[in-house]
Amino acid sequence: MKIDLANLTIAKAHEHLKKGDFTSVELTQAYLDEINKKNSDVNAYLEVFKDALDQAKAADELIKSGKGTLLTGIPCAIKDNILIKGRIASSASKILENYHATYDATVIERLKKEGVVFLGRTNMDEFAMGGSTENSAYGVTRNPHDLERVAGGSSGGSAAAVAMNGALFSLGTDTGGSVRQPASLCGIVGLKATYGAISRYGAMAMAASLNQIAPLARTVTDCETVYNIIRGADAKDSVTITDDTYPKKRIGKKKPVIGVPRHFLSGDGIDKDTMKAFNASMEKYQSMGYEVKEIKLPNISYALMVYYIVMPAEISSDLARFDGVKYGLHIDGKDVIEDYFKTRRTGFGKEVIRRILLGTYVLSSGYYDAYYNRANAVRRMITEDFLKAFEGVDLIATPTAPGPAFKIGEKANDPISMYLEDIFTVTANITGMPAISIPCGTSRKEGKDLPVGLQLTARHGDEKTLFEVGKEFLGE
Amino acid sequence: MITLKELEPLAKLSRIELSDADKASLLKEFDSILGYVDQLKKVDVSMDAEGRVGAVRNVMRQDKAEDTSPEDRERLLKEAPHREGDFIAVKKIIAQD
Repeated sequence: MKIDLANLTIAKAHEHLKKGDFTSVELTQAYLDEINKKNSDVNAYLEVFKDALDQAKAADELIKSGKGTLLTGIPCAIKDNILIKGRIASSASKILENYHATYDATVIERLKKEGVVFLGRTNMDEFAMGGSTENSAYGVTRNPHDLERVAGGSSGGSAAAVAMNGALFSLGTDTGGSVRQPASLCGIVGLKATYGAISRYGAMAMAASLNQIAPLARTVTDCETVYNIIRGADAKDSVTITDDTYPKKRIGKKKPVIGVPRHFLSGDGIDKDTMKAFNASMEKYQSMGYEVKEIKLPNISYALMVYYIVMPAEISSDLARFDGVKYGLHIDGKDVIEDYFKTRRTGFGKEVIRRILLGTYVLSSGYYDAYYNRANAVRRMITEDFLKAFEGVDLIATPTAPGPAFKIGEKANDPISMYLEDIFTVTANITGMPAISIPCGTSRKEGKDLPVGLQLTARHGDEKTLFEVGKEFLGE
Repeated sequence: MITLKELEPLAKLSRIELSDADKASLLKEFDSILGYVDQLKKVDVSMDAEGRVGAVRNVMRQDKAEDTSPEDRERLLKEAPHREGDFIAVKKIIAQD
């Protein structure tokens, strides 16, 4: 049968594979053809794996033997900062251009067990630092909805791969919105689960108190399917949690209650059409029987500032390991110390250097209390605000990003305007709470309708409510 | 807000070589970023800075070496820019005079 990639979901593909309507080899070939057609424009993939069809063949065997699962033979894309043993993992950086992963990340091990097909590794902002994939050392990823515009970031390649019908699902990482914001800009679904829900063993460290591996897919159901496979405790990531780490709670009698921090949504930095789509989404929920009420999050406006202190501080130590000695790029100087200086200057891009230095500054003696300590105290205050709000509501809704995809180069020279892209998403990383972005409408720019996302945040450990409410919204 | 005299030691601590042009643009960007995060100084901080995300707790383990297979060792060594046999090679770090 003809494979309709534009309307395919994991569940549908699984049924077809099981019934024998098509094989995983045929499905994988269909994706490879599509990638071949579009990737030179979009640049979602940095590398397409030559053995994809071999993986599909193995999956077909598994399906034939009756041992197939929901994900067996399903083609997916993996962000370039997640390790797959034996394959290059570069974090879109020159410093790791020829680095081969020496082991599998836990999420990869779990996906391999299901027999998925890895199509390739996807483009990103270097070391996941950025909101547009313009910081990649290997060129920008373009938005499949408008090639003049960015796909978002840092997981721009993973979002664009799914949006251009170049994979059924993908994995990214989300430290301040790096999966939800590109999902919003590309019109797909992205989930940042509770801190500790998904093992990060084998994901390159970027701000360990904020960072999570996160799935992207076209539907909430597909995201949930992938989440259920990759989540769970892992001895190799000591912050992973179990199902009973957090108590279960529900305020709404019939349906979850949705809270909206209106006071945070009145700024003029928010695109008009985006707000319109957001307000229409709230009305839609009300018409479906949900109670939507206003809430206050008194310290939320400080979240992005906290993020831009805590994140670079952690990065400055995360990236100390790149020294040109153990792996990766090596540039020769006159002695060992000069080797470090030259290797790191040549291997790291501008944004990475900026954040390492900024992190070193906020941690340095004399500034530590004023910046890092203060930021951590305010981080606690913000978390308390959210916990208090969740005494009266089950979900908190905001737009995912302040606007739709912007033009390539538009924000490249102004770090603050780029950082503001994360204004609504960083709170979930700061508090460790789960949040999902689902497509909720469009914003018209220069004659094109660009996707806009709705972000829902839930209590720690309550992904279930995000899936339930997300599915109802999209009619799944 | 931040001076060249403050920036240079940061680059040294971070082991990153900077050109004069790098320094000039970094100073400008630092001013804009620090100007933004400095708004935090206005917050009436009512809590201490105990670092904690959600229900994360401390996990202890033995500081014990585990056996590595020869294949794993080879795979790791192969990634090193310079090696001699089963060692990663670096330049001499103790001078003679």
